[in-house]
Amino acid sequence: MENENRLRRNMKTFYRLLARDKAKNFVIAILLLTTIFGAYQYDRANRLQNHLNNTYNRAFYELVEYVNNVEVKLLKTLMTSSPEMTVATLRDVCQDAYNAACNLSRLPVSFGTLSNTEKFLSQVSDLSQSVAKQTARGIPMTDEQYKTFMSLHSFAVQLEKSLNDLKNDLSNGNLKWENVGREKEEDLGEASENMPATFSSLDENFNEMPTLIYDGPFSEHMLSRKALGLTGKEVTEEQAIESIGKFLGKNNINNVTKLADNRNGVIDTYNFKVELANRKDHSVVEADVSIKGGHVIWYLFDRPVSETKIGIDEAKKIGLKFLEDRGFSNMKDTYYLESNGIATINYAYTSNGITYYPDLIKVKVALDNGEVVGFEAKGYYMNHTDRNLEAPKISQEEARAKVLRGENIKASGLALIPTNYGKEILCYEFIGKLQDKDFLVYINAYTGAEEEILLIINSEEGILTM
Amino acid sequence: MRRSAGNFFILVAILIIGSFIIFVPQKIMGQQNTGRISDLQLLARAINGEARGEPYEGQVAVGAVILNRVNSPNFPNTIAGVIYQPGAFTAVSDGQINVPIDPNSTVVKAAQDALNGWDPTYGCLYYWNPATATSKWIWSRQVVVKIGKHYFGK
Repeated sequence: MENENRLRRNMKTFYRLLARDKAKNFVIAILLLTTIFGAYQYDRANRLQNHLNNTYNRAFYELVEYVNNVEVKLLKTLMTSSPEMTVATLRDVCQDAYNAACNLSRLPVSFGTLSNTEKFLSQVSDLSQSVAKQTARGIPMTDEQYKTFMSLHSFAVQLEKSLNDLKNDLSNGNLKWENVGREKEEDLGEASENMPATFSSLDENFNEMPTLIYDGPFSEHMLSRKALGLTGKEVTEEQAIESIGKFLGKNNINNVTKLADNRNGVIDTYNFKVELANRKDHSVVEADVSIKGGHVIWYLFDRPVSETKIGIDEAKKIGLKFLEDRGFSNMKDTYYLESNGIATINYAYTSNGITYYPDLIKVKVALDNGEVVGFEAKGYYMNHTDRNLEAPKISQEEARAKVLRGENIKASGLALIPTNYGKEILCYEFIGKLQDKDFLVYINAYTGAEEEILLIINSEEGILTM
Repeated sequence: MRRSAGNFFILVAILIIGSFIIFVPQKIMGQQNTGRISDLQLLARAINGEARGEPYEGQVAVGAVILNRVNSPNFPNTIAGVIYQPGAFTAVSDGQINVPIDPNSTVVKAAQDALNGWDPTYGCLYYWNPATATSKWIWSRQVVVKIGKHYFGK
């Protein structure tokens, strides 16, 4: 009883105190909240920082491990005598170098710092793949390739050393991930003593990397390709505008403005903005016309497509007619994709029963009124040329006998196919089914080698290959 | 006495409401961003963050640069790898890449055209806005193509 009374009295005093200092209480509440907020944010930031550091550490240590593997397996490759062993070790090099490159690109260095290292790893992976393929086909590694791998191995050793320096600095706390991103700017200042190893010095290992030319997408020769199909003399801006007029129809054009001279080194062009006539909205077409020959290389007209009224078969005919009217004869539609009411249809050049897949033109047809809203012929102008192909050395029947798997295998003639390293291969094309999926198989028309397998993806959006 | 009791409850109420304001939104925010977004979506989001407001051609060009990097030995070999490479794109660093976009928007069409092979940059690997670029390094690049506000280089 007495306790209860005392408690009540205490409570009363407490309430009275509270009431007296309304403003003070308010301040206390805010202070408390701020403290809680601060503590919570601090803890959160700490946890995030740890999580980030762990992610970066993982990427780094995996990189070190993969680079070690690359170095060892490159050396093993150089020791192999049998083609089976060479192929096996090269495949290992390929995979480990690929994984190393993946982890490298996850490091928080400032952008571009590790560009040469990335290139080294990509090319080692790519080259190993290419030579493994070659070896599997019964062509042993050439002396030159052997020397290249020797030199790549010494680069790998150097990379290993640099990574080890970084690893030491990282584990003794000299190097912190949060400082790594700022490396670049610091480099511009004076170098102080006891500077931790840096990622930019790691990248300098590759300043004298030899130029690698081989059958792979990352080979150096892929960077300096020239347009083989671009014919004609240099044209002036006025002549280029004339070409656009012919291409889009003069009546459709209100005004043409040149935006830029585009000296890109691949196909030099004039870049134009074309205002269309007789349109409600402000309708603009963007287009490039080659300086050599005055050919329209591509154009794009972005406009909304409301209702689709045209089927894909009609769109294909519209595209074909569009090309024929502009001097592209012998084109055949191959694959297409439908999205946002627009069909993008691929056309390949055909001649004497051969489909030339590198000579590709893409046409965008709007499915509301059949207007052609886009055109792209870079593939055609890069590759189209008189090729003087030799006659096939094996017959279609012999090639058919090389396709051992799949059902309903049907021949669909000769095709010249591009490779991702810029070479073209004449093949017999076969269509077949496996697991209810359509496949394309390409058999080399000279050697009978299986060159490519493509899966045909037939979906609502269109027909594509993978 | 009533008033002082009321006052006490106000204090408690402020604390409770305050904690909600501090803690709850982060939980809600964490729920975004689930589900896989396809390459097209990812590319479109990158274009949205990097080149919104540029002419259509300029949007396709930014998509093309990303795809050119995928095909270059000096860069990661996947679209996601290129887009999320640390420091590569400001739209990734500041989180704009996570802004959902309308599947019918222009950037999706531009991403589709880039994937279909339109490349107004003819193989460029870099672009920058000369009005805002701060990196000295980027200026050492040779300008190959100018589209809208962006310079493109190899």
